[in-house]
Amino acid sequence: MGHPNVGKSVFFNRLTGANVTESNYPGTTVDYTKGWMKIEGEDVELVDVPGTFSLDPKDKAEDVAVAMLHETKDAKVITVIDASKIERGLYLALEIIEEGYPVVIALNMWDVAWDKNIRIDARNLERILGVPVVPTTAISGEGIKELVSRLKDTKPVEVDDIVTNAGGLT
Amino acid sequence: MTLSLGERWTLIDRISKETVTFGKYEHTLKDAVGELTVKPLTGIPVAIAIMYCFWSVFGSFAGTLMTDGFFVKLFDGYWLPWIQEAFPGQGSWLYAIMVDAGGFESGEFVLSDNCFEAFGALTSGLFVAIGVVLPAIFIFYLMLALLEDVGYMPRLAVLLDTVLHRVGLHGYAIVPTILSLGCNVPGVTATRILETKKQRFIMMTLLAIFIPCGAQIGIMEEVVPNLLGWILLYLIIGYFIFGYILNKIVPGKAPEFLIDVPPYRKPLLNNVSKKVWGRIAGFFKVALPFVMLGCAIVSLLYLLGVIQFIGDLLAPIFVGWFGVPKETAGPLVAAFLRKDLAVAQLSVIEMTEYQLITAVVLVSIYFPCVATFAMMLKEGWKELIAAIGVLTIVVFAYGGMIHLIGILLGVA
Amino acid sequence: MNYDETGTVTDIDGDLRKRVAGMGIRVDKRLRMITKQPIKGPVDVIVDEAETSLGLELAERITVEVD
Repeated sequence: MGHPNVGKSVFFNRLTGANVTESNYPGTTVDYTKGWMKIEGEDVELVDVPGTFSLDPKDKAEDVAVAMLHETKDAKVITVIDASKIERGLYLALEIIEEGYPVVIALNMWDVAWDKNIRIDARNLERILGVPVVPTTAISGEGIKELVSRLKDTKPVEVDDIVTNAGGLT
Repeated sequence: MTLSLGERWTLIDRISKETVTFGKYEHTLKDAVGELTVKPLTGIPVAIAIMYCFWSVFGSFAGTLMTDGFFVKLFDGYWLPWIQEAFPGQGSWLYAIMVDAGGFESGEFVLSDNCFEAFGALTSGLFVAIGVVLPAIFIFYLMLALLEDVGYMPRLAVLLDTVLHRVGLHGYAIVPTILSLGCNVPGVTATRILETKKQRFIMMTLLAIFIPCGAQIGIMEEVVPNLLGWILLYLIIGYFIFGYILNKIVPGKAPEFLIDVPPYRKPLLNNVSKKVWGRIAGFFKVALPFVMLGCAIVSLLYLLGVIQFIGDLLAPIFVGWFGVPKETAGPLVAAFLRKDLAVAQLSVIEMTEYQLITAVVLVSIYFPCVATFAMMLKEGWKELIAAIGVLTIVVFAYGGMIHLIGILLGVA
Repeated sequence: MNYDETGTVTDIDGDLRKRVAGMGIRVDKRLRMITKQPIKGPVDVIVDEAETSLGLELAERITVEVD
C-alpha cells in the first residue's frame, strides 16, 4: 500500500519479475495485480494495488486498494512511503497499523529525499513505530533485498505503544 | 485503539520531530522548470509546443517515413502480387475474402493493384495492421511513455482543469483521454481515477464517441492527410459540446480537482522500452486478430449482398440527413465492424471534401470497437446501455449539425 | 493569497479536512502558492516540498494566514 506515484509498481515488478506499467504520475495503476515471489525458498503471493491517500477511498482506484486490504485480513502490508514527503506517508502507515496489520515500511525515493536535504533517522523511526523501516530507492533496486529480509520481523503493533514511544501526545 | 484525525497528526508531528531533519532546501533547475510549466503564462505556450511536437513527429514518422516510405512499397510492390499469385482459386469466394475481391473494369475481372482496395484478410487486413497501425501505435506510445515518465501529465492536467471543468470533468480526465488516443481500452480502465459515477460515465461516453484510437488516426493520416486537422477539430468540438450537455443532464456530483504534482524525473530507458513494448503487444493481441477477422467478415457480407442491402435501406438517411453521397452507405455500414478500413473505402469514393470530412467524422463517432465495448461492459452494463443511448442521439444530432454548418458555409 | 506568497493554514472547512489530510495539508501547516490558473482554474501549492493542485472551490474552503 502507499500513496499514488511512490513506486509501488516498481517494487512489485522487481520482486515478482512482473511487468506492471510504471509512470511518473499518480493513478497509473488502477487495478490490483497478483504475483509470486520467493522468500527463503517459499512461494509468497504479493499483490500490487492502486495508490491511495488514506483508507477512506475517494475514487474507484482507491476503492480497489482499500477493498483488497480489507479482504485479506492475514496479509502483511508493505507500506511504501515517499521519503521526501514522509509526514503524509506516515499518516497512511498509521491508519494501516491501527487496523492491526503487520506492516513493513519502505522509505522509498530515498535518493530524492537526500537531494532535498531531508535526513531521516530510520532506526529511530523503527524504534518508535515498532515495525521494520527500510530506506529504499526502488528504481535502482537499492534496499529491496533488505526489505524482503525484514518481512519476517513484522508484527501487529498497538498504537498506544507508538504514542508512548514517541513520548505522548502532548 | 484508533486515533482521531487530530491525534494522528499530533503523533506524526512528534515522530517527525524526533526522526527527520529538514535541511535547507535548495531550489533546483527541475523545480524552476516545474513551476514554469504550470504557470499559465508560460505553461500554456509550452503545452501547445509539446502537443505540436507530438503531432508533427507522429505524422512524419508514422505517415510519411514508415507507411509511405516503407510499408506501402513493401506491400504493394512485393506482398500483394506474390499472394495474388500464390493463393489458389482466383475468383472463388475464399480468394475474395482472404486475398482480393477485385473489381470489374469494362466487363473484365481485374485484381486490385494496391493493398487498400483489395479488402482481403491477408492483404488489406495485414497491411492495415502492420503497415499503417503498427508505426502509428509505436510512435504514439513511445512519445506518451516519455511524457508520462518525465512527469508532464499532471501538469497538463492542471493547465486543462479550467476547460475540462466546464464539461463536468476535471483536469485529470486528460489521462484517460490521451490514453484513448492510443487505444480506447486502457482509456476506459483509466476512468477509475475519476471520483464519481457521473464523471466516469461522462468520460467513458465521450471517449467511446469522440476519441479516435491510434489505429483510426493512423489510417486517416494515411488516406486523408490534408483533412485530418478538420476531422479532429470537429471531434474535439463535439467532445466539449456533448460533455457540456451531459454535465447538465447527468445527475450526480462533479467534485473538484485535487491532485499531487510529482517532481520531474529523468525517464529510464528500460522502463520506457518495456512499457512501449507491453502496450504494443497488448494492442496487437486484441487488435490484430480482430482487424483480420473484421476484413474477412466485411468481405463476406459484401459478397452476400448484406451490406449493399442495408446500405440501400439507410441511404436516404445518409443522403438526406448527413448530406453524404449514397455510395458512402456501404462503407458506413461496414464501419460498424471495421472503422479503419471504412475510412480507406470512403477515401476512394468521389465526393466533395466537406462530405468526406462529414463521413469520416461519422465513422469515428459511431459505435466503439468491440474491444472497447467489452471493456465498458465490464465497468457496468447500465452505464453501457446509457452510453449507447447517448451515442445514437449524438450521431444523429452531431452528424446533422455538421451538415447544417456545411449548408450555412455554402460548402455542403 | 497571491503568487509566490507563503502562509500558514489556519482553518479547513468540515469534511474537506479529512480529504486533504492524506495530501499532507492540515491546520498549522505552512504552504507556498506557486500558481493560480485564470478563469476559476485550480490553485497550485507547495506543502513540505510537495506540489499539490486543488480546484478553486476546494482552495476557497481552506483559510490561510499570509505572512
